[in-house]
Amino acid sequence: MILLAAFALGLAQPQPATIPEMWDAWCARCHAQDGSGKVPEPTITVEPMDFTDCKVTSPEPDADWELAISHGGPAVGLSNEMPAFGDSLTPGQIRGFVAHMRMMCKDDGWPSGNTNFPRPVFTTKAFPENELVLLPAVSHDTAEIAVVYERRFGKRSMWEVVLPVHSRDGVDEVEVAVKHVLHSTGSRILSGGLEVVVPTGVIEPFLVFGTAIGGTYLQAQTKYEWPARPEKADRAFVYNLYAGRDTSNAPNTWTIGVELNGENRELALTPQLRKGLTKTGALGASLGVQVPLNQRQERHTRVVGYLLWEYLEPVRARP
Amino acid sequence: MKLGILESCAVAAAVSMLFVGQLGSQGNGTISGVVTTKAPGPRPVRVTIDQRVCGDDVQDESIVVDATGHLANAVVTLAGVKAPGGNAAAAGIMNEKCRFSPHVQIVRPNAVITTSSSDPILHTTNAQTEAGRSLFNVAVPVPGIRINKPVTSAGVVRLNCNTHPWMRGWVIVTDEVAVVTGADGTFTLPDVPAGKYELRVWHEGLKAAPQTVVVTAGAPAKVSFELR
Repeated sequence: MILLAAFALGLAQPQPATIPEMWDAWCARCHAQDGSGKVPEPTITVEPMDFTDCKVTSPEPDADWELAISHGGPAVGLSNEMPAFGDSLTPGQIRGFVAHMRMMCKDDGWPSGNTNFPRPVFTTKAFPENELVLLPAVSHDTAEIAVVYERRFGKRSMWEVVLPVHSRDGVDEVEVAVKHVLHSTGSRILSGGLEVVVPTGVIEPFLVFGTAIGGTYLQAQTKYEWPARPEKADRAFVYNLYAGRDTSNAPNTWTIGVELNGENRELALTPQLRKGLTKTGALGASLGVQVPLNQRQERHTRVVGYLLWEYLEPVRARP
Repeated sequence: MKLGILESCAVAAAVSMLFVGQLGSQGNGTISGVVTTKAPGPRPVRVTIDQRVCGDDVQDESIVVDATGHLANAVVTLAGVKAPGGNAAAAGIMNEKCRFSPHVQIVRPNAVITTSSSDPILHTTNAQTEAGRSLFNVAVPVPGIRINKPVTSAGVVRLNCNTHPWMRGWVIVTDEVAVVTGADGTFTLPDVPAGKYELRVWHEGLKAAPQTVVVTAGAPAKVSFELR
């Protein structure tokens, strides 16, 4: 339609017809033909994201990029120098641009950002992250907070350190873990890992899985806690299952979810709400209530949640 | 309302006349005058991109002044006098040979602005308030496309093109009676009810103090602004 309008004006200049041609004619002015953002004569003041850098671009889901193309940079918390193309491109063309941009990362093996699902409160994410997370949990008689530092390495791996702080016991252990993506497609991800708790010496191998079905995220985790010194801790089988949905496709959207948390025969249900605190989604928070489903004499309802910071992502961009 | 390319420019040029034309009644007076400056017109901008469409250089429209100092693109406003009611008028912004046309226009709050292009290259119409708040930034990648965007609040809206940094345009969003000076620097506000008014002038780079003008029935009031 647009191209027909152009020809109707009797223009001698041929208009770009394919996505690569449109990229070269329009987007390459700021983003460069190869997507690196390095152009000899920039006409904008911000430096565009380097789409050839897989480490930077692979964690983003397609929905974020589609939103940036259709509604402009401010829709995802980035510069307003990125204009909105939603009035001049069809949704199919916008998806075509995203597919074209995905090919600018030439290195295979990076897990798809489409499997970078919102973090549940308890269920470990399968997607590796660079995050600092505070996870408080408060009941009527105790309070604790876990401080989590996560760092990616390689294409598919991550290590983390967890420092649990209890209101009664203070800090009496540290957890160290590694996680590796075993399998990843555009909509499913499976990771495995190993966590070690010191000084109690508990070894905890785990598997985590995530998928999206019809706009609903499903994330699952199984973990076996094996104490090297049985007098210090008990064996336990831990399992978490999360289902949730976003209320929009913006990075700072509300996500409504519920978790089933199990440890041996103990079961609990944790309805929760998550919200991106900035438009880029680099800051996020979740709040929920964990309600025991059995053995209620020994366990209490807890208010739980987290505050997270993706510390390599821009919290906000220059206007 | 969908506007054609030529109509959109014509509508934009006529918007201010529409405002004052609706004031009219017998016994009113006219304010006319001229806006001048001693500031020289800047040199043309050397074009380094898209020369096949933009040419080798383009006029720097930040000061458009003739040999005798008559200043175009100044906006003269009858302070506190609301233009007659009715629906907000549509306006047009054309990306034409790598410049916004018109360079300055007046629209009513809640008007719909139609941005279009006759250039076979990517332009963007990036609208911001004077304080830098983004109103919209739309890509205009192909000629013939028309994109409608509302402007709600009164104020000065600056237009930039992110692919051609020299391109500037201004949309003065006001519900007051206002007019843009033509190429000869003159302006006319007809059919103004008799009374005492403050007349303000706005220009993108030059300033002058407001003036008080007294309008009497049947007698034209003359006003001159010199902008510095």
